[in-house]
Amino acid sequence: MEEFTDKISLSVQKGKVDINSPYPPDMKGQPGADELTRAALDEGVSANEILNSALIPAMAIVGGLFREKKLFVPQVLMSARAMSRAMVHLKPYFTSGEIRERGVFVVGTVAGDLHDIGKNLASMMIEGSGWRVVDLGVDVKSEKFIEAAREYPGCIIGMSALLTTTMESMEKAVREMKGLMPDQKVIVGGAPLNAEFAQRIGADLYAQTPQSAVSFLNSLS
Amino acid sequence: MIYTPRERVLTAMNLQKPDRVPLMCQFSIGSMMQQLKPSPAEFWYDGRVFAEGLAELCSRFNFDGILVSLHGHSPCWRESVTEIRDLEEGRQEVFFKERTELHSWSDLPMVYQLEKSINKDIAEIDIENDIPSVIDYIPVSAGLYFKIDLQHKFDIFPLLTEMTNGKYSIHGEITSPFDYLLDMLGYEQGLISLIMEPERCKAILAKFAAGIGDLAEEMCNCDIDAIKISSPFAGMGFISPEHYAEFVLPYEKAIISRIRAKGKHVYIHTCGHIDDRLELMRDSGASGLECLDPPPVGNVDLKNAFDRVGKSMFIKGNIDSVYSLLYADDEKAESDVLDIIETGRRGDGFILSTACSIAPMVSGKRILMLSELVNRSGLYQP
Repeated sequence: MEEFTDKISLSVQKGKVDINSPYPPDMKGQPGADELTRAALDEGVSANEILNSALIPAMAIVGGLFREKKLFVPQVLMSARAMSRAMVHLKPYFTSGEIRERGVFVVGTVAGDLHDIGKNLASMMIEGSGWRVVDLGVDVKSEKFIEAAREYPGCIIGMSALLTTTMESMEKAVREMKGLMPDQKVIVGGAPLNAEFAQRIGADLYAQTPQSAVSFLNSLS
Repeated sequence: MIYTPRERVLTAMNLQKPDRVPLMCQFSIGSMMQQLKPSPAEFWYDGRVFAEGLAELCSRFNFDGILVSLHGHSPCWRESVTEIRDLEEGRQEVFFKERTELHSWSDLPMVYQLEKSINKDIAEIDIENDIPSVIDYIPVSAGLYFKIDLQHKFDIFPLLTEMTNGKYSIHGEITSPFDYLLDMLGYEQGLISLIMEPERCKAILAKFAAGIGDLAEEMCNCDIDAIKISSPFAGMGFISPEHYAEFVLPYEKAIISRIRAKGKHVYIHTCGHIDDRLELMRDSGASGLECLDPPPVGNVDLKNAFDRVGKSMFIKGNIDSVYSLLYADDEKAESDVLDIIETGRRGDGFILSTACSIAPMVSGKRILMLSELVNRSGLYQP
């Protein structure tokens, strides 16, 4: 069992999606997250075990290396792809209830900003840690975030901004959300932000990296 | 000796000290409109309105130079517009056959395509035909392009010179091949392709670099002092220094050498964290570096940057437009700027500016504070 989870974990950490993927070069021709997860399930490893002993720890390692600038976005995207491929095999177990979803995370890039890379990266890692992700897309106005918060009671809202110029619309969105729904938890992230800004606008967390968002979310579930 | 604004900037770019530290910030489109309150659609599309705005703001805030962030305005831009609808004050909807644009004083226009375009897979890209030999667009932001009218590519430069009587240092701007690559493939596919399809990426970058180099070389024939190469996604927040050396540096270097051969200065601008690649940026052959965001947006210490690359490059920066100019109280804003002036004036070539462009809601009073401080504390000993 452990051998399977170790191998799946390694394939995710190294971004090895499947056997046909030429990346990483030192794993060429070897099975990736896709084949290993399928094989593990066939051999009786439980979906929960794969999620909790392979995928979640692997993405935590990737997140840590990203924070330390030892990995960069291309490599993290490959890891996220590998994890997503493994998740395809686990999806039925979420549906059947064998794996319990930790909660719903609603995410979007704030109004005026069309950049989605940070949002997507965070979404993939959060999904990989057992959360259901509802992606509102880019250029999301405050009303849409509020609407989603009402549609998914108990959800956590994530807002992303890449531009210094759109931090202002993030402030507006958080303030409007908190004005109407003071208990609604809101996480903010994006290159130009910091913890002071997050606190100033009333957000509950500044997620410096996708992994810090995952840790915060998991502490709530 | 009293320098003209233009001489002041040129002297700093030549790694010498003029009478005082030159001041030259780049405005975001939103900040320009917040100060000028123009028709937002006209400000974006009409070259004369844009040039008048640039000249007015430079004079109003006592800057020494003007960065022309958009060029190639078409005098016939209204021909393709089907309707301009005024919404509330400072907001207009502009309708075209295939898209609608929302222009507002708050920032860049938002574009809504009637048919959503999908980025081609890198394997499907026909390098010969899909990548233009003649660059006719600027990838301004995600999903937003500025079309360059090839018959009027550089009309704005003589217009500005005429409006300002050549008083100010005028700089053009081009975009890095790396940005064109990411724009063409989409950020996600583009970044993944660096490791999955490196050779194909390089072929695409080489084609873009040739076209951008032609554009830059031709821009050098105008009465400008420098060209800025904008490369917002080449920092530590996105790619490793190894990828920078492989996918950014060689292509910018090729363009830089063509600009330098025409006798103009050239500086590179990469947002965010770039501390680990300052030497690589210096190796590009550029005459200057712009931006150098301080924490939290970036991680550059100005003094350290001067120590490492300041003998061969001028530095233009590095005021934090958001945390020092927009959100800080007066005392902190002033103290942050004075620290930067003090550090910068010890270097060989320094131009005081915001790191990234001035955020839209920064007040006129705060922008004006910059010239007051630089006149008070940025003087060089004769």
